[in-house]
Amino acid sequence: MSLSAYIPIVGLLALGAAFALFSVSIAPIVGPRRYNRAKLDAYECGIEPSPQPVGGGRFPVKFYLTAMLFIVFDIEIIFLYPWAVSFNKLALFGFVEMVLFIATVFVAYAYVWRRGGLDWD
Amino acid sequence: MSHQLLLAEAVGAMKGGEATAFWILAPLAVIGAIGMVWARNAVHSALFLVVTMMCLGVFYIIQAGPFIGFAQIIVYTGAIMMLFLFVLMLVGRDSTDSLIETLRGQRMAAIVLGIGFAVLVGTGLFRALGSVNSAGLDAANTKHGGNVQGLAELLFTKYVFAFEVTSALLITAAVGAMLLAHIERRKEDRRSQPEMMRQRFAPGSYPAPKPGPGVFATSDSVATPARLPDGSTADRSISKILPTRELTSAEAAPKGTEK
Amino acid sequence: MLAATSSLDQFSHDPWWLVLIKIVGVFAFLVVMTLFTIWYERRVVGRMQVRPGPNRNGPFGLLQSLADGIKLAFKEEVIPKTADKVVYFFAPVISAVCAFTAFAVIPLGPVVSMFGHHTPLQLTDVPVAVLLILACSSMGVYGVVLAGWASGSTYPLLGGLRSSAQMISYEVAMGLSIVAVFMTAGSMSTSDIVASQANGSQAQFFGLTFTMPSWYALLLFPSFLIYFVSAVGETNRAPFDLPEAESELVGGFHTEYSSFKFAMFFLAEYINMVTVSALCTTLFLGGWRAPAPITTFWAGANSGWWPMLWFTIKVLLLLFVFIWLRGTLPRLRYDQFMRFGWKVLIPVNLVWIVALAGLRTLQNSGLESQIKTYIMVGTVLVIAAVWVLWPAKEKPTAASGVEGIDPGGRVGGAGGFPVPPLDLEVPPSPRAPRLSVDREPVPAGTVAGDQSATEQEGR
Repeated sequence: MSLSAYIPIVGLLALGAAFALFSVSIAPIVGPRRYNRAKLDAYECGIEPSPQPVGGGRFPVKFYLTAMLFIVFDIEIIFLYPWAVSFNKLALFGFVEMVLFIATVFVAYAYVWRRGGLDWD
Repeated sequence: MSHQLLLAEAVGAMKGGEATAFWILAPLAVIGAIGMVWARNAVHSALFLVVTMMCLGVFYIIQAGPFIGFAQIIVYTGAIMMLFLFVLMLVGRDSTDSLIETLRGQRMAAIVLGIGFAVLVGTGLFRALGSVNSAGLDAANTKHGGNVQGLAELLFTKYVFAFEVTSALLITAAVGAMLLAHIERRKEDRRSQPEMMRQRFAPGSYPAPKPGPGVFATSDSVATPARLPDGSTADRSISKILPTRELTSAEAAPKGTEK
Repeated sequence: MLAATSSLDQFSHDPWWLVLIKIVGVFAFLVVMTLFTIWYERRVVGRMQVRPGPNRNGPFGLLQSLADGIKLAFKEEVIPKTADKVVYFFAPVISAVCAFTAFAVIPLGPVVSMFGHHTPLQLTDVPVAVLLILACSSMGVYGVVLAGWASGSTYPLLGGLRSSAQMISYEVAMGLSIVAVFMTAGSMSTSDIVASQANGSQAQFFGLTFTMPSWYALLLFPSFLIYFVSAVGETNRAPFDLPEAESELVGGFHTEYSSFKFAMFFLAEYINMVTVSALCTTLFLGGWRAPAPITTFWAGANSGWWPMLWFTIKVLLLLFVFIWLRGTLPRLRYDQFMRFGWKVLIPVNLVWIVALAGLRTLQNSGLESQIKTYIMVGTVLVIAAVWVLWPAKEKPTAASGVEGIDPGGRVGGAGGFPVPPLDLEVPPSPRAPRLSVDREPVPAGTVAGDQSATEQEGR
């Protein structure tokens, strides 16, 4: 497999980037520009904007847990892909080791579930 | 001398496209790394790191390891850097590093030691890898019928123990995240939706939307409370985040919407 | 495997001008599809809501979205003064670029003759093509989260936060649902997956030979279902459109965006919809291959440029389902939505993968067919036994909505909040005599009626 199969991907990426950059940069030139101090405020449905976004632009810590779980499962998926592709070659041995792997990750998942890490309110 | 010759040979052996991609992406990766250190804003630092990670992913693809390349992009830039971003946003967008030095002269020492370490590692690598002929992955990829298949063959036979141990690592990660970030709540504290609804409609609380500020008021300023039908003012129509305050002259001035 | 490698090799032999033509072609396809889909959505939702939808610009209003796009270009661009200027500028670009790039590996048709060259109707294909799409969608999250953060405003921040959490949650389900396809096709390249859905394989059950359906949507139905649900979640579409819940968050992460920057997000959203539909077609619906009845009486349906028609029709049908969902279902609550993703889709997916792998391992093993049958039946029986004997959770006494309302018609005692009487009869509207002729007035509070109905069913 030579690298030339990847060149069209880069080409499409470049064309997409050129289009996006061009149109985003051209818009302020084409469009009108009328200064208004109120327009530059953060939009909060017409009331005076709150001085700072919630908590100074902070995210709740809950999302850290979601991101961490996402990493765990992402890595599991990355291991599952090559296993799935050569599934027929790996036969019974591959099946058993993957069941072990999934079961072990499932322990982590069950722990998080049990402790209420997947609950939102 | 011989090292240089070998390097030149290696460069010559690289295909034209590979070399071009390398010389475009390598500076980009270095700029990303330097930018990560230099950026004042933590989120900008993380974004520079994303650039470096992306470049590394593309390097892997160029070196005939497409699976590991895309895994790098999906796992590192897609998942791990997203976690970094989340953590940085936990801290808040306006927080910057404090630039007060607590250790006197540590910056100078760090620069000297850093350069020394870089030289050491660079020479070590150069001497170690200078005489190595890179075989490339092409032979291995064709032998197993593809990069992914070859990877699977090795991962699930020879390195199966390491693979299974990874799952233990993942458990550790999940448990660690739970310990760090999870706020345990007792069963009694949890309220179901019907309970919350009932509480909302319970006597003493006012379930309907509050009157909007400025509605039936003498002015349309947000700071002016609404008036109830009997003419008294409804203080709860003003948002709690708005302190009672006098408008500054700049705020009281016309906004310039009309000329 | 050798055959597959050689089929992939044909993608490296295009001359540069042909590659250029294909790139521009794919780009044009995506832009046209976006313009068309916006119109399509507005018309279909309009029909569902008994109104015509846009019908002024061009034939059937087809040029409406083009007009809207051009109008956006001539609108003033407002950058809030609290925004982080650089990140604010690049967020829509990231979104659009990721959306465009993902389409590079979608197969639109078989090998055709283009200006004297034989070339596949696909921009390119690599052994890990599906991973490229996943990588693009995981990079697309950056556009959303950075847009929300860089706006320096409350609503976008909350919207970006919700959006990113939602996208990463549903990416897991999406990634897992594809595993079964890889397992069955034995490849990650899109053209190989389409090729492997050409003919159904033979399978033996109880001594009888069956031809399995060739489409993975039928063969791997749970995967197909989970893929589609997570694709709706991944593209932030109704009923999972919490990031832009208008009643709560104004517009979500792009509240502060205007002019062409907003158009970029809009474009990216619709291209993403087209891409997930195209990927769904490729992975589960046989790709560009004509559906079964057509090929039996028309052998040429799978050659030349015709397959592009089948492909487009399949994609448009899937897009119709997206729109249908939007027209039918109300938005989920955020906790229900996250619970559905993490507690339903992921475990079901893992169990399904393990079950499928077990089944296939059994099929590939050299055991006699009788023993295979015994093992299968035994496993099913064991699972059924566990299911039946599992200690049932005692159900909490269901709190009905009527409980707690006192006869005075107030919730929470005499001083509580008034509610309308539950046996209120809605009088027939005098302006709709046609509709009310053969319809009896229905009591508004049908709780009691429902209970008696279920009781009757129980008997």
